[in-house]
Amino acid sequence: MSAWKASASQALRRRQWEILSVVAALSSMWIVFTSALGKMPQQGSASGCARCHPAQEAEPLTPMGRALELPGTNATLSSHPNLTFHKAAYTYTVETHQGKSTYSVTDGAHSITVPISWTFGEGAQTWILERDGHFYESLVSYYPSVERLDITTGDEGLTPETLEEAIGRRLSEVEVKACFGCHATNAVINSELSLRTLKPGVRCEHCHTGVESHLISEALSGGGDLESAPPALGRLSSEGISNFCGQCHRTWDLVVRSGWRGVSNVRFQPYRLANSRCFDGTDHRISCVACHDPPQTVVRDEVSYDVKCLACHAASSSNGLVASPGKEEGCPVAKSKCVSCHMPRVRLPNGLMTFYDHHIRIVKPGESYPY
Amino acid sequence: MASANCRNHLKCSHLRFVLAGLIVVLPGVASAQSNSVAFSDLVSKAAAARIENDLPRAIQLYSQAVQMNPNWKEGWWYLGLLQYQTNAYSVSRDALTRYIALVPDAGPAIALRGLCEFETGEYGSSLQDIERGLSLGAASQLRNEQILRYHEALVLARLGKFQDALRAYAWFARKGITSAELIEEIGLVGLRTPKLPEQVDDKGKSLFVAAGNAAYQYMARQESEARASFQKLFREFPAASNAHLLYGYLLFEQHPEEAIGEFKRELEVTPSNAGANVMLAWACLMQNDPSAALPYAKRAEQEEPLLPVAQLVLGRSLVESGDVKIGTHYLEKAGQLDPENLEVHIALARAYSETGRKEDAWRERMESLRLTGTATAPMGNP
Repeated sequence: MSAWKASASQALRRRQWEILSVVAALSSMWIVFTSALGKMPQQGSASGCARCHPAQEAEPLTPMGRALELPGTNATLSSHPNLTFHKAAYTYTVETHQGKSTYSVTDGAHSITVPISWTFGEGAQTWILERDGHFYESLVSYYPSVERLDITTGDEGLTPETLEEAIGRRLSEVEVKACFGCHATNAVINSELSLRTLKPGVRCEHCHTGVESHLISEALSGGGDLESAPPALGRLSSEGISNFCGQCHRTWDLVVRSGWRGVSNVRFQPYRLANSRCFDGTDHRISCVACHDPPQTVVRDEVSYDVKCLACHAASSSNGLVASPGKEEGCPVAKSKCVSCHMPRVRLPNGLMTFYDHHIRIVKPGESYPY
Repeated sequence: MASANCRNHLKCSHLRFVLAGLIVVLPGVASAQSNSVAFSDLVSKAAAARIENDLPRAIQLYSQAVQMNPNWKEGWWYLGLLQYQTNAYSVSRDALTRYIALVPDAGPAIALRGLCEFETGEYGSSLQDIERGLSLGAASQLRNEQILRYHEALVLARLGKFQDALRAYAWFARKGITSAELIEEIGLVGLRTPKLPEQVDDKGKSLFVAAGNAAYQYMARQESEARASFQKLFREFPAASNAHLLYGYLLFEQHPEEAIGEFKRELEVTPSNAGANVMLAWACLMQNDPSAALPYAKRAEQEEPLLPVAQLVLGRSLVESGDVKIGTHYLEKAGQLDPENLEVHIALARAYSETGRKEDAWRERMESLRLTGTATAPMGNP
């Protein structure tokens, strides 16, 4: 019995020692971990990623990085503190004072005022408004091309019959998630809207899932941990990239399925690109990322895109076409600024915004807008 | 019988429909050009008989006139119209076909031919003509649109395209147009029952009316009333096939998670329900989860291998989870079973594009665009 007791006692002490060892190990790991966290800038922020990817440091300042802005950061509204617009019987006012903006609509007798908590869009701005537990897409938006308010693109056909309807289009649950899901980061978690975790704009982890665990691994390992890196989006095919970007910029499938025809679909670039005769889902020379680097500001210089066209097409010279084996025919008309003719700029029917048509083609004089 | 009454009621409106159509058609109709005195005489007599409502004589005279001058557009139009009014649907269809050959974009004539084809049981052609007629402006007035949409829904139901038929009936719900017959027909379509209302006994009728009422409320955007009606339906008819599928289908667009729950409940009631498996696979595909879609898609295909959408979801699940070659095979099979299915062409475009079949992908894209026509749906949000 006593032998048994002694043995049991030894076993207990051994077990206690093991537990203490594990606790000690865990504690030291925790210290390392928290210390690493302390060294780690805001998880998934551009500055966090920029430690190793310095080229992406400017990401929060790009149009995508500013796809959603919170109160106090909206320079456009600060510089236009009193905006007014009339539509039928309603008058709209957007007022900004000390970084806080309000959206008001009145029919002359009554009025509704809602604080602007979420500004969508870096150029043209639309506001998602919350009132009595419902979300509304503001019926008027700010357009930099005219520096004033006008009807929100796509809502031109709405004719509000009540003051509440005049605020804007009431959004369904699915639409709210889609709006915040595209314009912000961490706004939709497990298919549920999560405004508490929302980070404004399209941040690195919006597209590169797994950034946070990669940052933690990097901090713990001291750097160079490539195994935890998010899957490289650059490995997707052109078709895959088109569908990936199309989750927000609208896929070809969605536009066709929805029957969105006519000039207004010029803003859905993946759809327009896929309608191009030259689009090849397996050719990396024609994809969203062949011409655009999402974490960077969009390049506006038309000449800079010539090199992208010449990746497939033969160059032309002042004397005519340059023969180039293995390449598509060159342009007999011009030798630079390909996009100015082959991707013409198209103005939306409301006249307030202009987009390059990504349906690459030989544009014939007088032809109607295809599809 | 009730349904027949409803159709008869609507058919009484056909005259108004075609007369309204004339407003569109006649400006495009050239007047009789023949120099023949005999022809002019025939034309005058035919018009007089028509105005006097002497239909047999008018038909006889118009027939003689178009034999004399087969390019006389107005003659073919009136001949088709008058024959339709006398329930001579097949000859009316033929006369309208001659007219349409001379005036290819005559929306009202094409729509009227679609109504003839409905009566002669040529449902495929009927659907094509009604839809083309609608796209060419045959529904210029609410009354006309009501007649055409109603027949479109009936044709779709006859063709077994229950979901499309339900979408067609949704137009009535949104407009607040209702009748007992309409509710029962919605119930039949909603529960995927290939029967006419007159073929249903009284016991069955209460099920279809309850289902039709709940679906109508949902489509009329009376969501809370619809929810209560569906719960009542489930309590009263716990073993009814396709009831949870119907509810899930209606919920799917706005409440996909709830819809998935209903599809799963449908499988508890009818484990071999291919439609529920298809919808579950589709829901997973919409959530970009092709691996989760695959088992449902496989079961749907096993249950109903000739169901085009079963082939479609299986093809898509395979393509999107990396098995492009086999997936494409299923998609092509779906295309053979239902060549006009837009989703099949969209999926094929993607599958071909992923595998570098550039020309095939482009062809499928163009086919998809052809199928969606030139109708412009409103584009919400910026």
